[in-house]
Amino acid sequence: MWIKVIGALMIIFAGISLGFIAAFRFNERPRQIRQLQSCLTSLKTYINYTVMPLPEALAASCEGINGPVRDFFSCSANMLAQNPMITPQQAFVQSILQLKGQLLLEQPELDLLTTLGANLGKVNCEEQEKYLDMVSQQLANIEIEAVQTRDENVKMCRYLGICGGLLIVIVLV
Amino acid sequence: MGIDLLFKIAGVGILISVFHIALKQAGKEDMAHLCTLAGFTVVLYWVVQLLGRLFSTVQDVFKLF
Repeated sequence: MWIKVIGALMIIFAGISLGFIAAFRFNERPRQIRQLQSCLTSLKTYINYTVMPLPEALAASCEGINGPVRDFFSCSANMLAQNPMITPQQAFVQSILQLKGQLLLEQPELDLLTTLGANLGKVNCEEQEKYLDMVSQQLANIEIEAVQTRDENVKMCRYLGICGGLLIVIVLV
Repeated sequence: MGIDLLFKIAGVGILISVFHIALKQAGKEDMAHLCTLAGFTVVLYWVVQLLGRLFSTVQDVFKLF
């Protein structure tokens, strides 16, 4: 009897956890996009006004924020600093691959970052500024879409997790 | 059989209705209908098993074979 009760509680707890983890992923994506926007704005400043080299600019642009986006920028900066032969695009792609589980960005944002990497450090400051402006604009559009998706899905995931756990318990008992 | 099955069916009904509402509010109406259908299938499976027992009991009572 007690084993059944404990098993049922464990199944319900697992269902609730799954629901909340799925909801967290929907919650986290707009936050990471916002962090990315703020880092890109800082990066634009460091490129245009301070005229810093790219590895230093990348490392400096993520100061003040926490989490996987900071890790992404510092990882790219480290790669570029340690290996001068690597292009910014390769550094971005490798950082994305390294932080695959933590960086909860989806394909459109990742594609934007990859193309941004292809254009960084190759043209003059003004062109880079224009390109960073364009990327920020596109990120703002993606953020609006991500917020809509979050509003639709967060509650649903929580309800489905809790009810799914209860349903499994009822069917198994 | 007991009254357990009735409570189980009621519980599944309540949870499936919550599923349906949550999915419908998220704009996934097709998934909501699919979910309702899955719940209905599970409940029908239980009921069909009971009906089978009922029919075999009737056969036994009237010595139909």
